Amino acid sequence: MIEVLPQALGLILTPQGLMVLSFGTMLGIVLGALPGIGSTVAVAMILPFTLTMDQAPAILLLLAIYAGSVYGGSISAILINTPGTPQSAATCLDGFPMAQRGEAGKALGWSTIASVVGGLVSAVVLIFAAPQLAAFALNFGPIETFALILLGLTCIVSVSEGSLVKGLIAGMIGLFLSSVGGDPITGEARFTFGEFQLIAGFNLLAVVIGVFALSEVLIRATKPGDDGATLISFQGIILPKLAEWKGRLKNLAKSVLIGNGIGILPGTGAATAAFISYAEARRSAPTRANFGKGEPDGLIASESANNAVTGGALVPTMALGIPGDAITAVMLATLTLHGVTPGVRLMEDNPVLMAAIFSGFFVINLMLLPLGMMVSKVAAPLLRLREAYMLVVITLLCTLGVYFVRGNPFDLLVMALAGIIGFLLRRQGYPMAPLVIGMVLGPTLEISLRQGLIITDGSFAAFFSGHPIALLLAIAALGMLSLPFIRMWRTRAA
Amino acid sequence: MTIFKTTALAATIALGAISATAEDFPERPINLIAPFNAGGGTDLLLRGFAPHFAEAVGGDVFVSNMAGGSGTVAAGALAGQRPDGYQLGYFSITVSTIQPQIKDVPYNIDSWSPICSVAASPTLLFANADSPFNTAEDVVAAVKAEPGKYIFGSSGPGAMTHLTTVAAFAGLGILDDLKHLPFQGSGPALQAMAAGTIQFFGDTEILMTRGDFKPLMVFNDERLANYPDVPTAAEVGIEAPLNELYLWGGLFAPAGTDPAVVEKLSTSCEAAVNSDGFQEFAAQTSTVLNYRNAADFEAFYRAQYGSNAAIIEAAGL
Repeated sequence: MIEVLPQALGLILTPQGLMVLSFGTMLGIVLGALPGIGSTVAVAMILPFTLTMDQAPAILLLLAIYAGSVYGGSISAILINTPGTPQSAATCLDGFPMAQRGEAGKALGWSTIASVVGGLVSAVVLIFAAPQLAAFALNFGPIETFALILLGLTCIVSVSEGSLVKGLIAGMIGLFLSSVGGDPITGEARFTFGEFQLIAGFNLLAVVIGVFALSEVLIRATKPGDDGATLISFQGIILPKLAEWKGRLKNLAKSVLIGNGIGILPGTGAATAAFISYAEARRSAPTRANFGKGEPDGLIASESANNAVTGGALVPTMALGIPGDAITAVMLATLTLHGVTPGVRLMEDNPVLMAAIFSGFFVINLMLLPLGMMVSKVAAPLLRLREAYMLVVITLLCTLGVYFVRGNPFDLLVMALAGIIGFLLRRQGYPMAPLVIGMVLGPTLEISLRQGLIITDGSFAAFFSGHPIALLLAIAALGMLSLPFIRMWRTRAA
Repeated sequence: MTIFKTTALAATIALGAISATAEDFPERPINLIAPFNAGGGTDLLLRGFAPHFAEAVGGDVFVSNMAGGSGTVAAGALAGQRPDGYQLGYFSITVSTIQPQIKDVPYNIDSWSPICSVAASPTLLFANADSPFNTAEDVVAAVKAEPGKYIFGSSGPGAMTHLTTVAAFAGLGILDDLKHLPFQGSGPALQAMAAGTIQFFGDTEILMTRGDFKPLMVFNDERLANYPDVPTAAEVGIEAPLNELYLWGGLFAPAGTDPAVVEKLSTSCEAAVNSDGFQEFAAQTSTVLNYRNAADFEAFYRAQYGSNAAIIEAAGL
């Protein structure tokens, strides 16, 4: 990889190459910031335009869109409490309270720097260690994945604002919603009540947009008050000063590692990584008492982790030629269209192209900083709309975004219902983040558990006896669960 | 793209009142519906096909996506539409012949006027290149020696990959001695192959070339040019209808479409499939093209519907 780097840089550092990178990154940020248009849709939207391009620019354009959209999701999460993509759901938790406090510019500053660092580190890891890491990722079978998801579920405890019981109930609702639709093992329809549309299950995006964005609109709309007021005051990104990073670097480093590690594993993803990293920060950061009330460490944890996933997800895709999720599958399809055969020999057969892709990915993450600041500036006047208008705009954006994903009117119904139910639940003090965690992790939890049981002939004990990684993860999950009790016991003893 | 959709919709409404005759067809844009998300294999094929089809039919053609339920959501929505030839679905073997036999979907064998088939690739059964299995006999011997030890994967219950492995092992009489592990998509399943979690997988030639795999048999009526040493399923003793399996796809209109319109669409489809541009596209994406006209495709589709019932039963779906 290192020998061919100069040659690869020659491919990127051309006027056309740089234009593709900056244009793609900017477009990605905008698309990611629009609620509903997640990374997968953004990448798929742009794919047809790459057909007439050369190999390297085509794939670099898609990578730029990918990385840009993951970052862009945080802008709407912070400014209007609407995660532009499910990956940014955890960013809402501390980003929006900060914005409400009048520190929107600062919140975006933290999330931007965290995103850039997460992306850059993952790019470096990709350049230097992709084949080795991909080989390690193969150790993660269904049983290890199950244990990891179990650990992920413990996040519900740390994102449950106010009442743990209500958080657990919301988490259970999320898990249940994820079980509606076709059984992943037998294909039979479950909980559809004869409604054909439900065979495909609830669309995750429609539910996330409904419970976060629409319910927020309803809450604001029903609040008596001055409707001439603006929602959030925001003038542009304010980058955090160096001194403010004091005590937060450990959190940053850990979050990047978590994001990178989870990105490499099959069947997980950026939303999972953001929540796990957030929960870990909330467990260990010295500022944990402020989490959920607008704590920069919460933003750092979720945003550096979800951007670190982007590079991680490319590891098995590029090193093994096997896509881990829908986005990387689109990328491999693009390579195919340009006459490159994805497969185990992808890196051996196309060293220069791969080096160009990896180093281009590094450049893209560098560009996130200036371009993110530019795009947020454009968003600023939009936010000066009167609250009533703003709420209408948010509702419209959500509707368009959700419809666009699958072109299915049924998803709009799901979004509306999720919005109303989310509104009612939130008024009763139920946090929505656990519901989203349940829905994100539910499908993987179920299929990995049932796959594991098929492998072990139905023995749950065999899950942990012959699988050291799974055992470690399960112990970690137990630790996360019992930690609050240990703390409580300690304070009582003291 | 949304603006384009809205424009197309407006045009549809504006022109809908004018009644069309087959000679004038098409008077407004034709919508090709991909039953999966944008960016997937079906979507890409259809987007590569659309411009050549538009040229052949002499009108505008646009692709829209309607995903969900393994393609059944789009098919279910199209099944009730006016059969005017302006809305066509691109459905695969699974959407049109498998799903309606295993799920309660709002369409069946008689819901369609088949237009043309576009692509068809035979599937293969394969194992890891470094596995001890070189022939079907090796597999039978090993599985019989240790029933319940070996696992085959699929990209999901009822998917083509599932039917391929079921056809192979049911045909060899060892299906009950193996375990089936469904994954969500071919990607995770191929990773599990590489990791050794599963030992067998079945898919088309292009998917097989992605990894270090060796083919054990091909579900075709003759051996493949690229693998002259790999026997057909019939050669290793698998009997009809389990011995031939093709991942095929083609255009379908709602049942009751005017035969003259079907004829026009079908001949346009032939010109598009044979066009240089689409041939080149197919070569780059390793798509095996296979055109059938409306009458042949209808006969083929109905025969497939029947023969796939046998595999579905063997798979216990």
